[in-house]
Amino acid sequence: MTTEQTGQTKARDSVAWLLTLGGDMQAAVGERELLQLVEAPTLLAVPACPAYCRQVLYWNDRLLPALDLAAWLRADVDTSPWHLAGIVACQTEPGAAPLLAALRLAAIPGRLRVSDTQACALPATPAGWSELAVACFRHAGRAMPVLDLPCLLAGSLLRVVR
Amino acid sequence: MSAPGWVSLDELRRQPALGLLALDGQHWLLPQADIRSLEPLLDIDPTRRAPGSIGALAFAGAWWPVYGLSGELELLQELPGTRRVCLLLDNGADRFGLVCDRVETLAPPPRLFPVPPCMADAASPLRALALLAAGVGAVTDTECLAARLAALVEHADDD
Repeated sequence: MTTEQTGQTKARDSVAWLLTLGGDMQAAVGERELLQLVEAPTLLAVPACPAYCRQVLYWNDRLLPALDLAAWLRADVDTSPWHLAGIVACQTEPGAAPLLAALRLAAIPGRLRVSDTQACALPATPAGWSELAVACFRHAGRAMPVLDLPCLLAGSLLRVVR
Repeated sequence: MSAPGWVSLDELRRQPALGLLALDGQHWLLPQADIRSLEPLLDIDPTRRAPGSIGALAFAGAWWPVYGLSGELELLQELPGTRRVCLLLDNGADRFGLVCDRVETLAPPPRLFPVPPCMADAASPLRALALLAAGVGAVTDTECLAARLAALVEHADDD
């Protein structure tokens, strides 16, 4: 008997990376979305850009936007040097060229297995998670938002009025 | 993120030379072909003020409004002491002056990179990024700058 015949859906497992964005703010990305870690990255300033993304990282012959999502969530600007960057990549649609970015991280990411049964609501604070996340799951007693990288890297935050 | 009619990345890459404008430590680049002249600041007449401008400069039989912009391309009413030269820009449709700390010609131009979509929307003056020895240069063009100035002046009027 198939799951369609029983009306039941088997819970799916997937692997995610748990990212510490800054302070106690953590979020997850898919296993294949995190490509590499860069320690003490050399970032280059770009004028006339939004506060959370005012620098780029030269990486593999590309200039990647350097996003500080914790600063965006706090609605402030952190000008201190980055200690760690996570290079992430995603596709906005099948066949499209991948979009890449460097995310400011405060700790080495952790790898964990996630089940659909862990799905939960986004954290209420800080406000703004709904602009960054596409889903959320419970892990170690905390709600862990899953970053919506295709939207973020395509510029969704540029349209957010805070 | 390209706005209709604005110079595309491919067009910028075909430019034989780019002008580099230093503003408060930031480096802005635009097509060298848009640069009509470099003039001394002393020639600016501060009594001839178009909205948002710091004065005007007589050149080729016309008065060119002159503006002061910060490195972030925000309108300045008072110039920092680092400004040394007035750049006259003319793309056939827009004509104005911009006071800069320093101006150089980059020929051949540096390699240009696309602006990541999360860094700039269609209203942004950023058209491309350039990797320079001194960091990253922000590439724009005269039409973008003119649109930026118009928006800044209108915003200043609203205030």
